[in-house]
Amino acid sequence: MLDYQQLLFIHRYALRDITRSYKKLWVISTTLFISLLLLSLTFSVKHSLSNEIEANSKELLGGDIQISSGIEPLQGLILEQLSELGQISETVSLATMLSKKGDTSVFVDLRAVDGNYPLYGEMKTIPANAGQELLHDAKRPTVLINENIQNQLRLNIADEVVIMGQDFVVGGVIASVPDLAQSAVFGEFAIINKDQFDEFNIGSRDSFLKHDYRLKLNQTEDDGKQIELIKSIVESDKNINTRLPKDSGQSLRRIIDNFSNFLNLVSVSAMIIAGIGISNTLLSFVNQRNISIAVKKSLGFSSNIIQLIYFYEILLILIFTSILAYCIGVMSPLLANDLIPKSFDIDLQTSFSFISYLNIFFIGLLVVLIFSIPSLYSISAIKAVALFRNTFQPVSLHFSAKNIFYLTLLVVVLVGYFVFQTEQQFFTLLYFMAFVVTIFIFYGVSRLLISLLKRSFDFSSNSYKIAYRNIVAKKSLAPIMTISLGIGLTLLLTLSFVANNLKHEISQSIPSMAPDMFFVSINKGEKDDLESFIKSIDPNVELEFSPMASASFVALNGTPIEEIVSGDNRSSWIVRGDRRISWLEKPNQDNLIVRGEWWEPGIQDQMFVSMDSRAAFDLGMKLNDKITLNILGRDVIGTVKNFRKVDYRDISINFAIIINEAFATKLPYEYIGTLKSELSADTIQSKVIGKFPNISAIKIDRILSKVGEVLNKIFIAVTGISLIVIVIGLIVIVSAVMVQTTFRRYNNLIYKILGVNFPTILKAMTLEFAIIYLTLIIFALTVAMMGSYFVVENILLLSWSFDPSLTLWIVFSTAAVSFLLILIANRNIFNPKVYPLIRNE
Amino acid sequence: MNAAIQFNDVSLTYGPETDLVKVLNSISFSVNDDEIVSIVGPSGSGKTSIIMLAAGLERATQGSIKIHGQEITGVKENELSDIRRKNIGIVFQSFYLIPNLTALENVLLSLEANQKYNLDSEAKSLLDEFGLSHRINHLPSELSGGEQQRVAIARALINRPKIILADEPTGNLDSANSNTMIDLLFDYSRKSKTSLVLVTHNNPLAERCDRIIELKDGKIA
Repeated sequence: MLDYQQLLFIHRYALRDITRSYKKLWVISTTLFISLLLLSLTFSVKHSLSNEIEANSKELLGGDIQISSGIEPLQGLILEQLSELGQISETVSLATMLSKKGDTSVFVDLRAVDGNYPLYGEMKTIPANAGQELLHDAKRPTVLINENIQNQLRLNIADEVVIMGQDFVVGGVIASVPDLAQSAVFGEFAIINKDQFDEFNIGSRDSFLKHDYRLKLNQTEDDGKQIELIKSIVESDKNINTRLPKDSGQSLRRIIDNFSNFLNLVSVSAMIIAGIGISNTLLSFVNQRNISIAVKKSLGFSSNIIQLIYFYEILLILIFTSILAYCIGVMSPLLANDLIPKSFDIDLQTSFSFISYLNIFFIGLLVVLIFSIPSLYSISAIKAVALFRNTFQPVSLHFSAKNIFYLTLLVVVLVGYFVFQTEQQFFTLLYFMAFVVTIFIFYGVSRLLISLLKRSFDFSSNSYKIAYRNIVAKKSLAPIMTISLGIGLTLLLTLSFVANNLKHEISQSIPSMAPDMFFVSINKGEKDDLESFIKSIDPNVELEFSPMASASFVALNGTPIEEIVSGDNRSSWIVRGDRRISWLEKPNQDNLIVRGEWWEPGIQDQMFVSMDSRAAFDLGMKLNDKITLNILGRDVIGTVKNFRKVDYRDISINFAIIINEAFATKLPYEYIGTLKSELSADTIQSKVIGKFPNISAIKIDRILSKVGEVLNKIFIAVTGISLIVIVIGLIVIVSAVMVQTTFRRYNNLIYKILGVNFPTILKAMTLEFAIIYLTLIIFALTVAMMGSYFVVENILLLSWSFDPSLTLWIVFSTAAVSFLLILIANRNIFNPKVYPLIRNE
Repeated sequence: MNAAIQFNDVSLTYGPETDLVKVLNSISFSVNDDEIVSIVGPSGSGKTSIIMLAAGLERATQGSIKIHGQEITGVKENELSDIRRKNIGIVFQSFYLIPNLTALENVLLSLEANQKYNLDSEAKSLLDEFGLSHRINHLPSELSGGEQQRVAIARALINRPKIILADEPTGNLDSANSNTMIDLLFDYSRKSKTSLVLVTHNNPLAERCDRIIELKDGKIA
């Protein structure tokens, strides 16, 4: 056990050593700093976002409690009871068309709000009083639109628009709404006055309304009791759902969680590659100081004390870099405020938290320990006897049984620490496993390259001979370059391939399969008229109509569905809220039945169900299971008869749940339709909306370009972030090159004395790089292709394709940057001076 | 008189059994408390190996080695470190100062290895005694060969070791510097009644010692 004086000595010695050797430790400091900064940025922004959501949960929900009654409004009696407990704000939402008068239209998320809106927070508009005027002082039918609608329809304030055949005037532009709707930010979003909604009977023209009631409770001592009371008032109606502030912003939370998990994994990958650099730097540090270490041993210092000094030096570097990274990270929410769309109305605050700092420090400490143990334990292999003979042999990484045990323990703690912090534990674990396997693959690749070169060395070129000797030498760049650049490139290539496949799907595959336009909200009586009207515009048009009704999934075999399906189930969307179901008498050719049989036609008194096979698998369904659906307020039990393979990619009409037509004819329903035409979609859209104002006509290209736009931004962000791994890899390679500078300068000096000229040395270096890079890129490409194929085909369920130009661009640009950096790092060795060698300096 | 160093039937061999190199072959000798002994012999005769074994930096293949009566063969690495730092000061032919420490810090390091802290004045006074008071804050690269060796000797002596082991301490020095160095070592040894074991090729130097142990082919001649 060390006493205080010894600890003080270690502290003083380490400090002195760092200040006098900082140039040799820059790689450790730089790579640690970059990877810790990325981690800190991620943690800080996530922490601030979560705090912001937490602090504004009532604003995000719009009240102390939200009650959703679906298509139907709440009964008067319930409303009366609720109004005694607090102030109520009623909202009706629907999706419909908004057209610039005599011009183009857009499909919008329309909200009708009453005078109490919003109960918490404020609606920001341009002009500032537009919201107030809409809700309390509207002389004409008025609508507030968001910026997306304004830009698309080129609308100005006071312009006239048409919603479901009713004229409205644009009263202002919505900058932000407190109860954040994703459509308000990413899509087209409009608000009208609830009184005008009722007055013009807009609700009666659409059967897919959503009624929400938000309550601001009276000031009492016990909110919990009032919430319980509200729940008891509405519990008898299964169509009514309640949400509390803690449930608000869940989709936002999910996005934040997913993205921060991705960032965390990239950070830890960067940190692990930095760790490889740390390991390499420390080993060369130990080798450069072998005499000092031997002298210390001769003076009576034990290996343990010397190791402790160096561990403490690394610890000091970690403390310094982690504090710096954390401080910058903490400030990052201020920067993020500028990047988050204004319509989110999010104002992130910086917040220092010692626990958050410890979190980053702990991860850094684990990585640093894992990678410094084999290097620093090599100190025990340096013997003081070498001082008598002056025969110092370079030491290598030390892997004793004790070390391997420590390393295994630390790796398990690191992985466990990450895995238990994330929501997607399985994928995080999978990522770590793939990462470790990839490290071993690349190490194996470098050994394979050396072994192959040793067997096939028979070239007479001087450049090749030098390159060959450099690659097969004990201090070869091959292993470290293959691992550090290989992993970064594999990550970049994999992500690029996945993103490129997605982009390809959105920009080419889907448009070739998808219809040009969707029609929704087609009343039963309008369907035939609409069909003949469109055919009169384009006789060659391809039209498809399907009936649909609204239903919610209540139970499976009598067990409430929320008890069976968790929120992170891949197919939980099917059981959340209202779904559209359709019916068919005969199976659709596009939907292949994979299990079970289609039903006999004409049976009216029983409901049969055909399920999407993937959803059925995810929800754990079997043939002949009993499904309870709530259709228009009535619970109906049906029997699962078959599973269908549904391909949603073509964006044609696809339903997860299809029932038998004979049973469904009793239901109130409307139609959905698709159109494929040689004519311009704009022409058809304006003509249809002019003739059928209640029908929404949505152009697919608009949706696809929107999705493409979002994907493009994600692609840029993801690629940029994964580039950090490559940057760290390059720093590690440059450091490895610099560590070898003395050795290579000496070699080149000998070559120079023996008559080898500069072009030959340069050619040798190019050849050496080309051989190593070519080898690593073959394996990086193979791993990336396999990885992206797995993701694209099995997770995204798309068809994988290879893009040679993207691949070549990534491969060549990385090669050029890497080689340039290596040349810069090696600049001192091209033309070494002979004099110092002769003088043995 | 007690023996500071005692070798009994000590052998040192290297390499595999089929190709065994016998560096020392069953040698026995002892060095008394205040004795100055030189070890001489041709290259490869095993002179330096004796120093390495006495310092506990090498392990004997056979036999017993005692330092002030304490057996050091078979002792663990950490205990050997303890014995070394409490009893032994080593002077190398190549000085081996730590390049990023000043002269003073190099000397202090020896004290710190012995868990003696904040003794700057003691180290300064020794360096002053060795004529290096103006060089205490200089790095080894800023010192001449003679100065470096004086710092190395100060580092070996600062702990007041009971035994000094010097492996050709003047091998890298000119004659003037060599004489200064040897005078320093002899003076210290005589004054403090410390054992000094000197490995040398220099016959006049060997003859100044109390006793000469001559080695040939790993045996005492």
